[in-house]
Amino acid sequence: MSDAHASHDDSIHPEPTSFLRKYVFSTDHKVIAKQFIWLGLAFLAVGGTMAMMIRWQLAHTGEPFPVIGHAIFSNSAGIISPAAYTSLFTMHGTIMIFFAITPIMIGGFGNFCIPLMIGARDMVFPKLNMFSFWMMFISSAILVASFFMPMGAAAAGWTTYPTLSTVMGTPGWGQTLWVVSIYFAGGSTVMGAVNYITTVIVLRAPGMGYFKMPLTVWGLWLTAILNALFVPVLAAGMILLFLDRVVGTHFFLAGALVKSGGDPILYQHLFWIFGHPEVYILILPGWGVVSDLLSFFSRKPAYGYKVTALAMSAVCVLSAVVYGHHMFTTGLSPLLGQGFMLLTMFISVPAEIFFLNWLHTLWKGKIRLTVPMLFSLGLVFVFGLGGLTGLYLATISTDLYLHDTYFVVGHFHLTMAAAVFLGAFASIYFWFPKMFGKMMNSTLGKLHFWFSFVPINFVFCGMLYVGFGGMQRRLYNPSIYQTFQHLESVNKFISYSAFVMAFGGIFFIINFFYSLAKGEKAPSNPWEVGTLEWTHTTSPPQHHNFDVIPTVLHGPHEFNHPHLTDKDWLGQAEVLPALGAQEAK
Amino acid sequence: MSSIAEQRRELGPYVGMLVFLVAWGMCFASLFFAYSVLRISEVSWPPPGVPRLPLAVPLFNTVVLAISSYTFHRGLVAVRGNRSLSVWLGVTWLLGTLFLALQIWVWLGVERAGLRWDSSKYGSVFYSLTVFHALHVLSGLVVIVYLMLRARRYTSARHTAVRMGAMFWHFVDAVWALMFLTVYVL
Repeated sequence: MSDAHASHDDSIHPEPTSFLRKYVFSTDHKVIAKQFIWLGLAFLAVGGTMAMMIRWQLAHTGEPFPVIGHAIFSNSAGIISPAAYTSLFTMHGTIMIFFAITPIMIGGFGNFCIPLMIGARDMVFPKLNMFSFWMMFISSAILVASFFMPMGAAAAGWTTYPTLSTVMGTPGWGQTLWVVSIYFAGGSTVMGAVNYITTVIVLRAPGMGYFKMPLTVWGLWLTAILNALFVPVLAAGMILLFLDRVVGTHFFLAGALVKSGGDPILYQHLFWIFGHPEVYILILPGWGVVSDLLSFFSRKPAYGYKVTALAMSAVCVLSAVVYGHHMFTTGLSPLLGQGFMLLTMFISVPAEIFFLNWLHTLWKGKIRLTVPMLFSLGLVFVFGLGGLTGLYLATISTDLYLHDTYFVVGHFHLTMAAAVFLGAFASIYFWFPKMFGKMMNSTLGKLHFWFSFVPINFVFCGMLYVGFGGMQRRLYNPSIYQTFQHLESVNKFISYSAFVMAFGGIFFIINFFYSLAKGEKAPSNPWEVGTLEWTHTTSPPQHHNFDVIPTVLHGPHEFNHPHLTDKDWLGQAEVLPALGAQEAK
Repeated sequence: MSSIAEQRRELGPYVGMLVFLVAWGMCFASLFFAYSVLRISEVSWPPPGVPRLPLAVPLFNTVVLAISSYTFHRGLVAVRGNRSLSVWLGVTWLLGTLFLALQIWVWLGVERAGLRWDSSKYGSVFYSLTVFHALHVLSGLVVIVYLMLRARRYTSARHTAVRMGAMFWHFVDAVWALMFLTVYVL
């Protein structure tokens, strides 16, 4: 700890020269960010393939999965068996949440953006940062190992409710390794959170007040705060579940089989005390990024910058006290239920405030429809839909009907899957030039956008529709129930839309690797914006980020300043020509 | 007295440690929450037919940990005055070890009396909470050994690691006070 960079006066550390220290066990936040992004993108591909398998099963029940089916489901001639299907939807959720979104948005862009945007040379604890990545790596290795256990991978759903997740519901080491893996992933996340929170508090450049930070940093910082507070609750739940499974304690087991048993609902409390903040943890970085990007590409200051930051903070506070809305059907006291319903409804108020700020930012702007802007607009649309459908689930009377249907699946995918997915790609397209020093291809990017945005809405709105029709989630074969047979065509439509979306992903993969190898060299500020990572360092930034720590004078979204004649943006640390003498004092 | 530069340098580790302890406090809080949820569903606690936990030794242990917090603090005061901290850390280490030894003695006695972690939820709660806490005491002892091995390096100007160690140790002791109240007394 004695070598922590707690002061800007610290000397610049020389760049390590050995391959291991430079690319593998690096303490450079930019390298760690890339490591997280590679890990996340790999798992995004795995989790996405699993989603395609799930959709294949719902559209073509009993037919072998094309191309890779025979290799993966070799025991059943390429057909997805009910047991495999259960594992698929469990692991799809787990992988997407803990091993795709978390590494990309929080591990990747959290690491990359925070020091660069606040004007720091690195994170405050660079070694802890390295441990955080390698713990995530160990955790993902354990998760991968769980696929090869006898009796298969975890199969209790990503929420892992007891009694499904106890040794009675899912015997075998696959589920136990799942628990261990999530515990380690949580450890990694908390390490990252401690680092991010502290870095923002102590390493902001001179003049970088909290209300001069880009909203991206606000989003990531609030995410880190929620992570630090609530991931340990999940860790506690995982410890107890592990003890129940391995040493035979009685926390969650109930019923005649165990004397003096515990309470399965206790797990749901612990899980959702973590789980509701978690959905905001996943979307907050996206909100932050979009709040900045909408302003950058509308060439206008972010409307109500301070209010957006405060509204996002208010959502964070509220997110801690609404978890009961996941448990309306567990026999929760009606009085408590009403309280949770009311608090949940309150979240709409701050959420509407920054949503309207986004629209105001766009209003009368000189909009540049670049690829990151398209993805940002996509997020705004999709998140709006997802947020509205949340109201039906927050209301007890409608939730009792919609609970456990595809309506829930559609709602949470729109908010924390589709919106986060679009936000993640907006971030990748936006910061790729800074990360790798190359521009991405804009035509391929636009193709990727349209192939993602249109089908993503078909998929999840289709899910809202079949869910409203009563179709439960996690059904292996809905068409054996007469009630759901008329939904078969809609299910097929959802699946085909999903396949089109997966096809669109190919444009991204080509674009990503092609640009890495042969992309046009990126200038230091290709988007013409004023935040520090674009104005005060090269693309990609040198090892120590900034030769001289800049002194910040302005907010992050200064566009069309009346004193500027040659360009429409103003750097955060740029001295205005006309007011230069005055501001220098 | 530490200089302004020293204070600035210590700010990062200090804030980081605070954030970490709040986070880890949430983990303990969740365990206490689990305990209370299981408890309120029972008419009487401990449930009928369950062996009673001893009170005298855990009470003594609480005092032992409280004294160890004081001795660790004296070590910090010593290093701030450029005096040796090894003696104070050594005493703290011995007190922590005494705590663990007595705790193991309590577990053995309770198990002999017939309360096991897999015999009832009362046993599950008792063993899980106390063992989880004891693992933290053990980590604290490792930290103290580390600090003692490096004791000569710490001066009144540079002793961030000692301060961090002390914060962790006080945290573990404070959690124990709560645990003693909830698990043994109430």
